[in-house]
Amino acid sequence: MYNDLDPLLHSQLRLAIVSMLIHSEKVEFTHIKEETKAAAGNISIQIKNLQEAGYIKVEKTFKNNYPKTFVSITDKGVKAFESYVNDLKKYINPKK
Amino acid sequence: MENINLTPEESFNIINKAIANFKLNYRETAKVFLLWGWVLAIASFSNFIILKILYSREALGLMGLLSLCNWALFLLIGFIIMFFMERKSNKDKKVFSYLESYFKNLWTVTAASFIIATFICIKLEINPPPIMLLIAGIATTTSGLLIKYRPVIVGGMAFFIFSLAATFVSNEYISLIVFAAIICGYLIPGYSLKSAKA
Repeated sequence: MYNDLDPLLHSQLRLAIVSMLIHSEKVEFTHIKEETKAAAGNISIQIKNLQEAGYIKVEKTFKNNYPKTFVSITDKGVKAFESYVNDLKKYINPKK
Repeated sequence: MENINLTPEESFNIINKAIANFKLNYRETAKVFLLWGWVLAIASFSNFIILKILYSREALGLMGLLSLCNWALFLLIGFIIMFFMERKSNKDKKVFSYLESYFKNLWTVTAASFIIATFICIKLEINPPPIMLLIAGIATTTSGLLIKYRPVIVGGMAFFIFSLAATFVSNEYISLIVFAAIICGYLIPGYSLKSAKA
């Protein structure tokens, strides 16, 4: 029924991740875990899928000897998100 | 959170939830408004007292120097507190938002404008407060428009009015105008932001 929607974004967890990144320069992995309440393994898989599609970038750093993973959205990801939201609007308000 | 088939409404709910959670970060801005609000309010009021004492003793030659030292001292205190506040907030920061980045750039440029304007005013022998309040008004109004928060926009506009008012009063009372401007432009919007439910 919703074939036109980007299948990569039309997933609960991946959409939550991208929605979180749209307003931010970068977000730490643990914050995504706290906000989505999903398992770390599941988030890692979804982040990998989004990264392979070129929608997000992953940056690994160290702070006080602790590894930190930051995720940020790319221009391609922003465009995909915008077109996904526009497609959603068409489903909700088909007349517009 | 599992990957299940979503309806468009459910998709919108996920997006809206992410936006709603993001709005909570706006309240962080209140800390900066309150810090500079209090520092500058105390600085302007102490400046008024210093100028009043110097007027009563007819020590007019010392007014410029002591006034400058008073402002410099409080600005230094403000920057030191700000430095430690920033360091503490960045330590465990998990989200670096575009909004914070815009704010940082806006207020860095504003701080540079304050310093340059001070030199220009000294060189041209103009009383600095009207110019300073005008610059503060531009930055505060822009900040309010960025976060779409009416009390900050109104506070910024109050700076414009006080900037004009400062041109009509005598030297020592300009400090009281600045004091009132800081309360209306920084402290009231700051407390409003602090108590905002986003």
